[in-house]
Amino acid sequence: MIELFATIMSSAFFVTVIRTTTPLLLATLGGLIADLSGALNVALEGQMLVGCLTAVIVSVYAPWYVAVLAGLAAGAVLGLVMAIFALRLKADIILVGFAINIMAAGGTVFALAMATGGDKGTSINLASKAIPPVDLSFLGVIPGIGPLLVSLLSGHSVLSWVAAFLVFAIWYFLYRMPWGLWLRGVGEYPAAPEAAGIPVNAVRAWSLVVSGALAGLGGAQLAMFNYVGFARDMTAGRGFIALGAVLLGARHPVGALLAALLFGAFEGLAVVMPGLFADAPAELVRMIPFVVTILALMLFSYRAQRALKLRGVKTA
Amino acid sequence: MSTTAILARQSRWSTFRKETLRAVTAIAVALLVTIIVVLLTSKAPLEALNTLLTAPASKPRTIGLWFDDVAKLTVTGLAFSLVFQARQFALGVQGQIYVGALASSYVALSPIGPTFAAIPLGIAAAMLAGAAWGFIPGLAKAKLGANEIVSSLMLNYIAIELCNFLVRVQLRERPGVLTSLKFPDAAVFSPLIPGTRIDLGLILALVATVLVWFALYRTSWGLKLRLVGHNARFAEYAGIKSSLIMVSAMTAAGALGGMLGAMFVQGQTYGKITVLFEGGLAFEGILVAIVARSRPLAVPVVAIFYGYLRQGAQLMNIRTDVPAEVIGVVTAIIILLVSSSFSVPGKKWLSAQFGRRAQPAGLSADGAAK
Repeated sequence: MIELFATIMSSAFFVTVIRTTTPLLLATLGGLIADLSGALNVALEGQMLVGCLTAVIVSVYAPWYVAVLAGLAAGAVLGLVMAIFALRLKADIILVGFAINIMAAGGTVFALAMATGGDKGTSINLASKAIPPVDLSFLGVIPGIGPLLVSLLSGHSVLSWVAAFLVFAIWYFLYRMPWGLWLRGVGEYPAAPEAAGIPVNAVRAWSLVVSGALAGLGGAQLAMFNYVGFARDMTAGRGFIALGAVLLGARHPVGALLAALLFGAFEGLAVVMPGLFADAPAELVRMIPFVVTILALMLFSYRAQRALKLRGVKTA
Repeated sequence: MSTTAILARQSRWSTFRKETLRAVTAIAVALLVTIIVVLLTSKAPLEALNTLLTAPASKPRTIGLWFDDVAKLTVTGLAFSLVFQARQFALGVQGQIYVGALASSYVALSPIGPTFAAIPLGIAAAMLAGAAWGFIPGLAKAKLGANEIVSSLMLNYIAIELCNFLVRVQLRERPGVLTSLKFPDAAVFSPLIPGTRIDLGLILALVATVLVWFALYRTSWGLKLRLVGHNARFAEYAGIKSSLIMVSAMTAAGALGGMLGAMFVQGQTYGKITVLFEGGLAFEGILVAIVARSRPLAVPVVAIFYGYLRQGAQLMNIRTDVPAEVIGVVTAIIILLVSSSFSVPGKKWLSAQFGRRAQPAGLSADGAAK
């Protein structure tokens, strides 16, 4: 137990948590934008997965940043597909999202087999690149706290910093810019912005595209930093956990950050625990994030419902 | 016969025709996409297509494989139809299959296993476990307002890990093997047609179809359920406890999912439990339910067509260089096309030729699944 505690307090664990949190946080931010515009994006999982594969394949032929952008673009295209089917062709958005998940699960394996000439499952034969870590070792010259800062802040993926910045950027966009107000208005009560002449469907479509792009970016981080290379179903439910994290984070960017950190911490635990306890059943440890999501979702929904009741609003 | 009855029959007939046309078009478009993909990627496209389109019906053994799939697709399609009719997007069939399979495995490997009670008790245990797994997200939604999509998906992953864990630690044949002992003969459904995989599962699927149809269209519970699905607030004003209906629909669908778990492990295909045995079949029930517009009696028909395609893809995977995963792309296209109000290309032109007015797109889109 003491060993576990010591591990958790170590800076190496902090670095692990940041690493496991980053893809989740990017997907959660994507889910948040779609959710606030009134469109539940259940396709985050599939968009991440396609982002993973696109980034891996492109990174074989191009520099890492092109690959990251390709992952982002792949997610955005899937977001656009969602928007077209859900908004223009009036399909149920949850069914569209699930269709994209199914397409991603099968399509990535199929595309990988085509790209590698028959490998089904992993991209072990592809020389894919990784996102370089950001080296901040110059902070070590600061007297006193320098070495600590280096061990905590140095060596993260570029995308971890991007994700942290995006939390702020999205908060600023949502709460300090007129377009953010449009977006929240469209999600809250579409009839009002419609009457005010705001193009409701265009706002939703853009939210879905951005949402997909963020999920694709999360996929790029997953396949080019957390793991280098693609494996079938490598997202392993992260997109769905992100959906839970949106709700748990009270549909606010900072809440999304905290929720993603919570899930990232449990995933980090699942990474380090088998090394500490030889007999720790890996399956049960892997179950932890899912159990936490359900419990947190129930707790949060209960509190939200009670808050509504206290304000005298009757829930349907 | 009164005029209203005739009118009702006419409208039902035209709805039927319209829906069939949509389903057939969607399947045709999906087939076209498959053909294009195979032509582009395969080195021997004609052989691959030939396998895809003819292999499932070529031999008694492959017909058996096909109908084994049909039975399973029917049950998962029914489970999704039930929750979709109540307009709940509980997506927990996958998890229900795993917990159901675990429950029936424990029965089959217990001292009851070699007795005649193994099959009925195994199925009952599986249905109970599945029902519990469906009940949790239902209760969480009704009492706490927790989003049923997220909670049911999380329960899927929990069930998969639970199955991995229990098979590895408890049910395994010997350390290091990720399958259980073979079940005793009395605990395995015997084949209805010798030499094939067609077993009790097919009968269970047909019985389930009739039962779900009866429950939905001939009982007051079903009427309430469909009312809640169409308009929960209206149903609430009419004095229907919508949360109770919601929970019971999810629980009943869970029982179906659990039964499917028993069909997997106690059926001819396995006769034992192994990790990850379900292979993504559960979610294909979404496609079956959507194409069938959540109508229970249409579910087996859709399952027959889709099962054929699915089996063809599996055989194509084994015999040629086209991976079976191509079916995922086809599935997605069918779901996208059927759930959206796409119009048949050239429909306007066709109806102009026949002097009928084209239906405005969007009006025809309100199906039960929406």
